[in-house]
Amino acid sequence: MLVLTRKLGESIAIDDHIKIVVVQIKGKQVRLGIKAPKETKIHREEVYKAIQDQNTEASEADLTDIQNLTEELNK
Amino acid sequence: MILTATIVGRVVYPFFRRKSVKINTTRFGILEVEKKDIITFKDGILGFENLKRFFVVDPGDQTLILWLQSTEDKAVAFPIIEPKIFDPNYTVKLLPAELSSIALDNLHDACIYTILTIPKQVTEMSANLKAPVVINNKTKIARQIVLQDNKLEVRRLMYADLKKYIVNYSSDDSKRTRTKIEAIEIETEYSEATVTFDEPATLNTNEVEA
Repeated sequence: MLVLTRKLGESIAIDDHIKIVVVQIKGKQVRLGIKAPKETKIHREEVYKAIQDQNTEASEADLTDIQNLTEELNK
Repeated sequence: MILTATIVGRVVYPFFRRKSVKINTTRFGILEVEKKDIITFKDGILGFENLKRFFVVDPGDQTLILWLQSTEDKAVAFPIIEPKIFDPNYTVKLLPAELSSIALDNLHDACIYTILTIPKQVTEMSANLKAPVVINNKTKIARQIVLQDNKLEVRRLMYADLKKYIVNYSSDDSKRTRTKIEAIEIETEYSEATVTFDEPATLNTNEVEA
């Protein structure tokens, strides 16, 4: 992994169209501004983790769960 | 050498002729699946990146829930549902790169499903609106696409809405409409979105200050 040191207000350019700016440093938190073309997807990594967890949990469903659901829907 | 012999001798292995394959599944037993119905997820599904091939199983129960069954791991199947059923306003907005990743030229060729989590307390079931499964019905190429819209929930509670739908429409399949899908137009000029990451680990907040 490439590691760079930046000060407040300084930025990093990735390719020609992506720029990441250190907007604020407050205690243990860093606020970053990201300028990128609209087609670039930017997500907090937690979003992917949340989706992976949801998928794993979803895959554990079995037909008994559907049966329970059917009974509940018919109440 | 073997191949040559096969062609000369006009012996065709049954495998090459068969239009369907038998797939063993944990939940549904052995299913015969037409080869043309097998869907390819080039990137797999998030958390299941090694599984590339799936097919849709319709158990025909009244819950309207279908299953996305892996052909490669008999135990892996995801309950899925058309989001339109419980959220008529849900719209999937796709970027040009996402459309081309599943070779989708015509939006009408797409099928949209959301993956469901069904816990023991079934009234707490939820649907992942943030990352729907988009299937190109023509090419059978599909992807779980993480949408940029930060208001979309990974776990949207939808039991009450599903129940309402089933009570109203259970006997009438024609009421099932398609989920809206839109292509995002990218302006030719350089455009930019500014996204700030500040608060720790809160999902679904609106962080785009475009």
